[in-house]
Amino acid sequence: MRLLSVLIGCALSAAAASNDTLLIRGADVYPVTAAEQKGVSILIQDGKIAAIGPKVAAPKGVRVVEAKGLRVYPGIMDSATQLGLSEISGVRETVDTGELGEFMPQLRAIASVNSDSEHFGVARVNGVTSAIAYPAGAAGGGRSGAPRQYISGQAALIHTAGWTWEDMAIRPSVALWMRFPTVGRGGRGGAVPDYIAEMLGETGAAGTYTEMLRTYREELSKLSDFFEQARRYQKARAAGAPGFVRDLKYEAMLPALEGKLPVVISAEMPRAIHDAIEFAEKQNIKIVILGPVELGNTGAELKKNNIPLILGKVLALPNTEDDPYDQAFTLPVEAYKAGVKFAFGTFENQFVRNLPYEAAAAVAFGLPQEEALKAITINPAEIWGVAGEMGSIEPGKVADLMVTTGDPLEIQTEVKHVYVRGREIELANKQTRLYERYSNRQ
Amino acid sequence: MRKLVAALVVCCGFALADSMGAIAIRNAKIVPVSGPVISKGTVIIRNGLIEAVGENPPLPPDAWIVDGEGMTVYPGLIDALSTVGMPGAAPVAATAGRGGGRGQTTTPPVAQPAPVTTTTAAPPARGPEDRPNTSSWVLAADEIQATDRRIETVRGAGFTTTVTYPTRGIFAGQGSILDLVTSDRTGDMVVAPAVGQYISFTRTPGASIFGSFPSSLMGYIAYVRQIYLDAEHYKLVKDAYARNPRGIERPAYDRALEGVLASKRILLPANRLVEVDRMLRFAAELKQPAILYGMREGYRPEAAPLLKKYGAPVLVSLKWSEAPRDPDPEAVETMRNLQNIDQGPSTPALLQKAGVTFAFYTDGIDQPRELQRAVKKALDAGLAREDAIRALTLSPAEIYGVSDRMGSIEAGKIANLVVTKGELFDANTRVEMIFVDGKQYKPAPEPPQSGGRGQVGETPEVNR
Amino acid sequence: MKTRIRIAVLAGVAALGWPGFGLKIAAAETIVIQNATILTVTQGTVHGSLVVKDGKIAEVGEKVMVPQGADIMDAAGQYVIPGIIDCHSHIAVDGSVNEGSTSVSSMVDIRDVINPEDIAIYRALAGGVTTANILHGSANAIGGKTLVLKMRWGKDAQSMIFEGAVPGIKFALGENPKRAGNPPGGRGFSVQPVTARYPATRMGVEDTIREALNQAKSYKADWDAYRAKVAHGEQPIPPRKDLKLEALEEVLEGKRYVHAHCYVADEILMLLRVADDYGFKIRTLQHVLEGYKVADEIKAHGAGASTFSDWWAYKEEAYDAIPYNAAILQKKGVVVSLNSDDAELMRHLNTEAAKVMKYGGLSETEALAMVTINPARQLGIDKRVGSIEPGKDADLVIYDKYPLSDYAKVEKVLIDGTVYFDRDKEVSGRPAKELEKKKLIDKQKPSEPRPRTGGGRGSE
Repeated sequence: MRLLSVLIGCALSAAAASNDTLLIRGADVYPVTAAEQKGVSILIQDGKIAAIGPKVAAPKGVRVVEAKGLRVYPGIMDSATQLGLSEISGVRETVDTGELGEFMPQLRAIASVNSDSEHFGVARVNGVTSAIAYPAGAAGGGRSGAPRQYISGQAALIHTAGWTWEDMAIRPSVALWMRFPTVGRGGRGGAVPDYIAEMLGETGAAGTYTEMLRTYREELSKLSDFFEQARRYQKARAAGAPGFVRDLKYEAMLPALEGKLPVVISAEMPRAIHDAIEFAEKQNIKIVILGPVELGNTGAELKKNNIPLILGKVLALPNTEDDPYDQAFTLPVEAYKAGVKFAFGTFENQFVRNLPYEAAAAVAFGLPQEEALKAITINPAEIWGVAGEMGSIEPGKVADLMVTTGDPLEIQTEVKHVYVRGREIELANKQTRLYERYSNRQ
Repeated sequence: MRKLVAALVVCCGFALADSMGAIAIRNAKIVPVSGPVISKGTVIIRNGLIEAVGENPPLPPDAWIVDGEGMTVYPGLIDALSTVGMPGAAPVAATAGRGGGRGQTTTPPVAQPAPVTTTTAAPPARGPEDRPNTSSWVLAADEIQATDRRIETVRGAGFTTTVTYPTRGIFAGQGSILDLVTSDRTGDMVVAPAVGQYISFTRTPGASIFGSFPSSLMGYIAYVRQIYLDAEHYKLVKDAYARNPRGIERPAYDRALEGVLASKRILLPANRLVEVDRMLRFAAELKQPAILYGMREGYRPEAAPLLKKYGAPVLVSLKWSEAPRDPDPEAVETMRNLQNIDQGPSTPALLQKAGVTFAFYTDGIDQPRELQRAVKKALDAGLAREDAIRALTLSPAEIYGVSDRMGSIEAGKIANLVVTKGELFDANTRVEMIFVDGKQYKPAPEPPQSGGRGQVGETPEVNR
Repeated sequence: MKTRIRIAVLAGVAALGWPGFGLKIAAAETIVIQNATILTVTQGTVHGSLVVKDGKIAEVGEKVMVPQGADIMDAAGQYVIPGIIDCHSHIAVDGSVNEGSTSVSSMVDIRDVINPEDIAIYRALAGGVTTANILHGSANAIGGKTLVLKMRWGKDAQSMIFEGAVPGIKFALGENPKRAGNPPGGRGFSVQPVTARYPATRMGVEDTIREALNQAKSYKADWDAYRAKVAHGEQPIPPRKDLKLEALEEVLEGKRYVHAHCYVADEILMLLRVADDYGFKIRTLQHVLEGYKVADEIKAHGAGASTFSDWWAYKEEAYDAIPYNAAILQKKGVVVSLNSDDAELMRHLNTEAAKVMKYGGLSETEALAMVTINPARQLGIDKRVGSIEPGKDADLVIYDKYPLSDYAKVEKVLIDGTVYFDRDKEVSGRPAKELEKKKLIDKQKPSEPRPRTGGGRGSE
């Protein structure tokens, strides 16, 4: 009997010595999906949250992290980034988004993710533990002269730490990324400074409404045709027709057609949002609206159809000269009041670490703080279909956590520990290394 | 019988017209502009000049009588800024009357964009010393092409005179006052060859900021400033050299500066209020008498006091801001544009009330019906008809310093007259006759309208 | 009309925010801001009141003398800081901010193209900015002349100019000024093919600057000789006035501040040495993202540093940028400010400032200083603005919460003691504004659809 307990003890110690098992002791825990618990401990075992509570104790040999006076939050999820896909946006060779081709659903962002990108180190030290890496379309939508891209490929949901992209992958294919045709130019006219527009030769009106409408209908027709082809392929495949040949593009469409994979559609203005919803109904697909600038009266429609939003930067300029200065700041609270679920995305690598502060800006202009926190934790988890595994601090979920000195949405808050799948992340990156080096220059 | 003789006489062409005696337009209503309206009177013209005007002036025995019953005689209209007669210069409608939203550079409607690449692919200008886009020495009078069909069109709308400018480039050259006679010798048209330097800041749309100097608005302004500094210095050195050349290095001949020094006034573009303010100060800095052209935001309350303070006359474009046709219903106009559209036509009335000197220019509109509609808009917005007429006759003459010889119906002045059936600028008014330098012209028939009006009048056309 | 109501009405007019100068802004009233937490930046935090009189800060204290007839602003629970100063901005400019056709474009002047109706001014105000250093772009090694503006929304161009501020000039190093020397094909900055413009390398950028300064030296010598002759009673013909070289002459004489856009350590050092050679100081290094690598040298030269809080990796030269840059430079004794170089970012410089508390552990006062007294010192306007002290301009921002929190928003902004932004008035004025616009839209709707005629003249 004694031998057995020694053996069991050894086994447990062996397990305890593994780096994804630990106890965080005495912290104030903010689960997000439940009320906060002050002065409790969290047991993490094999990378998962095992137990939370005042009496939870560390099994023998398990590492203990003292966290009295500190807070624990779920790791932050950014719903639109180029992490791993783009290093220096001004240097084309380092950018792996913006592929050519009109319909490219078969492109997979996951396998182009560079797990050693310096951006991961910078983002995760501020508690961003997971992110969507999405295949952005060609820059400027046709500015480079190539035909516009409708479907850009499959986005991936990844952890921001790991040895390889395989290691990082949470859902290698989490959504299809699509650009929906718009009538005219769409939003954000007020944000491009004149001198930039001038430098790029972008001046002048978009043309008459009749012309724009015609172009829109042509593009929509093209898109609808592609979907129809995909459905025919689906049918032929199911029927096992003789002479059936696998087509990678249509294969890639199947999960979306079956409603298993959401399609992310960028739509900025109310008319485009409405058109996108109509298209989704017609095509019987699940959609997510990306980057709305104005909701207009589409709130009810979005809510009724359970369509969530991925909001872009809160800290953004108004759409036109006459729009109120806080138009972008108040968009989140507008969505909240309409009962529409939303998550935030930063869209630019260099600002991923600032995601919580974008969320905070919405709070300044009316969004309840808890909602802002949800929009970077449980909401994206739900939208991306991983709410069973992440997005909040509940037993059974993956231990993606951050330990902080206070509210993570406040800039002055320090992040003391970050865990991805229960493993502690070294809080060092390219920037902290340069800081140290040059602080020591004599 | 008389009619037959008249037809024969006129058909025989020019020489006959020249050696003809006086013409007397009798029993017409006369609007002299410089004095009270004469409800029924006579205008007598001879040798291209007005010999007499009044209720009952003594008729010379050789006078050819033209029955003016039911007609009105006005001074011939003057277009204060035009490109009629300039070769290859179709009026540019470009962004006229719109825009001005986010601090766009001025695009004065009449200007021509300077060509970015010449046929010989000259290297881009790198500074003011390269004198980019400058042809300040050019006189419109020297470039006139009498075959410009717009001469006839514009005349048909009642214009006897245009102040025609070259408009290509930053310093485009000087404008000339032209009477729209049809002649082999373009010199016959010239009333005054050099009335002002046309300056514009138009950028070629889409041109790169790395292109030729200047590529930014501030670059244009700096260039103009440098030219005037150079001109001042050039004059100093030239005068000193002229006084005593010994021992002084000869000043290099610079025709750009010669052209600038020869100009007695400058025209500067100003549509937005910000531009009016900017250009007035700029002209004062350059110490140049200036005329501002454009005035799209001239209706704003700050505009008139500013203009009065600097004493600058303005040329108001008749191309009023208009709502776009077939706009995207989701793309709402800016308040700024909406206000321009709404209040633009009230600019002349407001300027008039404030005592600011102004004249109209057609800004590329050459169809009589469109012109009539444009002026009517200003009337509907509060401009008195006589003030509208003045803005197309005596005011431009005053602005250009030729009011001693044209712009009103007075004895001794040039016989430029437009004779209408109906009051000028009313919808159904027709131009019956036009006299330019005393030569009679008939307006070209208008294309069939609803109701179709064809040839009018008795005397056949006289033009080549 | 009662003072309070008058201010309210006039502030309301101002806050309607339609562009246009000549709005009847009230002349400076006497205002008392009460019960606030006042972060003076230079003299600690005061829980009390502030008196504004004749456009200046008259008194600050726990208890103040309330002058007769003063308008009382109750700021209970609110915070007051000095008006934010953005040391790098391109707003309020008509046309391009770059004269990119030539590598030395010091003949152009931002002063000539001020656009007081740029909505960006109002939006900056709504973000707490009261003064901005408006700069030429970075397309050339030596750019155009620059100036400092106060965000006096509603005034005309000349009235926006910060009186007495020393004028500036923009220099630029690194990738931007050499871009035109390497015109790319296909994707790239330039849309049309252009002739390559010297310089194409950092070596050429240095040469361009030295060459221009050399010419300026010559120019200065000519003019000095002329002035000497005149002083002797002679009447020589003056040399030709050259706007480009005149600006650089002023640089050599210390009369025009140099604001130099720069990124990497080698070019920062290069410029400091060039300035040393020609006997003038670089006033501010802008962006200066690798300034932390040569902080000692910057301090020794005496240049100020105006940088981003945490931008990086958008260009190769920004790859080594670190958010600790400001803190390292600050600790080495350099005067550091945080700027925006962006019409959006300038609306929350308060939170940008907060970031140096996170990255580098600077104190609240040091953080706030980076967007107030430090840029004021860099621009030479610190006698007038940058802190809340009696005698200084009443440029003030009132926040509803702690200003270094990203949960805070701007409630009111005063410049020269006049309220230029009032959030309550702005929000409550929106329905009226929308109605006014709707009226015009409806008025201009075509009454019946126009028949489609094929072009032609005068069809109606």
